Amino acid sequence: MEIGQLFLNALVLGASYALVALGFVLVLNATAAVNFAHGDLVMAGGMLAVALSAVLPLDTGVPGLLVLPLVLLAMAGAGLLFSLVAYFPLRRGPPVSVFISTIAVGIMLQHGIKALMGPAEQVAPPLIAGPRLEFAGLVASRQALATLVVAALLIGGTALLLARTQFGRRLRASAQDPEMARAIGVRVPVMIAASFALGTALAGAAGLLFANSYFVSPGSGGNLMIKAYIAVTIGGWGSAPGALAGALMIAFFEVGVAAWLSSPVAEAALYGALLLTLVLRPQGLFGEPAGRRV
Amino acid sequence: MVFAAKSAESRAADPETTACLRKSRATRIGIVPTAAAAALTLWSGALLSGALWTSGARAEAVRLPILAPTSGILALEGASQRDGALLALKHAPKGVTVERLVLDTGSSPQRAVQAFEKAVRGLLPVAISAPIFGPEMLAIMPLAKERKVPLVTISGTAKITELGNPYVFRFFPGDAVVKTAQARYTVENLKRRKVALIYQTTAYGQSGRRHLRANFAKLGAKIVLDEGLSPRVKDMTPVLLKLRRAGADVLVLQLHSGPTALIVKQAVGLKLGLPIVAGSAMHQPSTAALLDPAALKGVCAESGSSPISGGGARMRAFATAFRARFGRAPDAFAAAQYDAVTMVLQAVANGARTAAAVRSALAGGRHDGIAMTYKSDGKGNMAHDAVIVCYDGKTRLPAIVKRYHNVDGAL
Repeated sequence: MEIGQLFLNALVLGASYALVALGFVLVLNATAAVNFAHGDLVMAGGMLAVALSAVLPLDTGVPGLLVLPLVLLAMAGAGLLFSLVAYFPLRRGPPVSVFISTIAVGIMLQHGIKALMGPAEQVAPPLIAGPRLEFAGLVASRQALATLVVAALLIGGTALLLARTQFGRRLRASAQDPEMARAIGVRVPVMIAASFALGTALAGAAGLLFANSYFVSPGSGGNLMIKAYIAVTIGGWGSAPGALAGALMIAFFEVGVAAWLSSPVAEAALYGALLLTLVLRPQGLFGEPAGRRV
Repeated sequence: MVFAAKSAESRAADPETTACLRKSRATRIGIVPTAAAAALTLWSGALLSGALWTSGARAEAVRLPILAPTSGILALEGASQRDGALLALKHAPKGVTVERLVLDTGSSPQRAVQAFEKAVRGLLPVAISAPIFGPEMLAIMPLAKERKVPLVTISGTAKITELGNPYVFRFFPGDAVVKTAQARYTVENLKRRKVALIYQTTAYGQSGRRHLRANFAKLGAKIVLDEGLSPRVKDMTPVLLKLRRAGADVLVLQLHSGPTALIVKQAVGLKLGLPIVAGSAMHQPSTAALLDPAALKGVCAESGSSPISGGGARMRAFATAFRARFGRAPDAFAAAQYDAVTMVLQAVANGARTAAAVRSALAGGRHDGIAMTYKSDGKGNMAHDAVIVCYDGKTRLPAIVKRYHNVDGAL
């Protein structure tokens, strides 16, 4: 039964990591540059959920679900703003300019939020409130199960958007070959801005999920950024399915290996697996369809 | 167990508190013209030194820089420390004017060294309110010895007073004191002898672990699980399942604030049903705020003091003034740093105007603070008392259930 409990917990953690990694890879594909502020945008989404829960009347059984659409919308707007500040003014410069600017904006976010909300850890409202559920010897909070469902819906919705809509096809075309996309009339800058909006909205949703289950503080973005980077490197640079697989793998290391050995060993083993992947399969588990490593 | 703690807010009508607040308002009104001059001084000072200094009458002022980690892993504790020091400067004895410099050490030894260098530039400070983070202290201690400037800190890391540095004064009970209280309460009061010891893999965690292991061995308790956790760990289920398998009858923690709240929350989720005796992070109001009051039932923590749990009139006045100034409840770290800086300022008021004179006053003096009585044990350990606080599962206000006086016999 312990194995079942660990599997369930790893799945829930992996679902949240997957949202972080998916948002990261969308921007990576659109711009061919790493957004080093992505972890801080996840943190900002969590803090926004905390702030909204303090001002909105949320005496319902689903406080987090009520906050979620607001977080998605606000963070999509923040993504657009982010692209205007940290990407578009520098996109014709050397690639290093963009990732330095994303680092700078990330640090500004950290300090700004710390000034507004203090350095302490905060907790966001659960998606669904209520007592824990028990079945077949497993214990799960409603939040954990809701996390799985919300993450699956957001990831599935993003996949459908990219695969089945004209907008999604334009997004992918802009990411895969901007010159060709421009030649056939796609407004590439608009698609890049939309990628920032979508990726940041997913980051915000991940922030909301993390901020209830694992708390959030102004400094918590850095670690999530590293996790997203590892997920994308292991899964395959620029591959959305690879990022999801990489995110789940991280969670299974953190929960499974920690249960078998210990948490410091699990962390070391994860980095060992990363190195092994880079040596044996540099393109990652799902290849490298687009982009370049920075 | 009786939990008799009253709401701290209900004591706000205390005459001493009211007087303190009235004095604070009067000071604010009277200081307006001085503030304009201070702003000019700040501007010119910043231009000359590149640092953010504030001062009153600059010619007579002494320097007492505040170095605290207000970002990074120890940001929460660092902010408490900084604000305790700032409140002490605000309540400085009559006739003592202090030039202030507040620097963020970023929970990084490297940044702490840079901050120290900035702090000692120019006229030597009479003392430095030094960071709570042990690795930062270890980095700046040799520099303080070289420049002969006393450091007053609340770092719990045992090693800082074990290196024979005469310029270090610790005002929060070190691990030799609080870990003794934590272990004794676990064994003597809770009657638990099969201990699961979970510690952070940071210097703070390792130091506490060393003292807890020694104390449990002395008390005849068995450690059935001894495991370190990185502060980045999100899911605590693996370690919780391990300790259940190991047959532990108590969970003893030496973790930072966030991980402490996380493991308590997840232990409740797994229906672990074991008492938890945590480190000082659990006494902090901001840690308790992360959890439902029901999840806190049966959770205890060691600390130097617990300002929100009550105490004497001076402690209540401190708690009220802290809330009024910073908009949040104080914790033991804020109270201890308040006491540390107050002892320095009283030494200055008594005529100690140089770093050497202040060092002598700290090494040989005795200070009746708001949290406890402080006196050096010859190694710079000034605090020798500890308390155990417990939550009743109904509120987030812990009650002091046990006091340990003069634990190391230094008083």
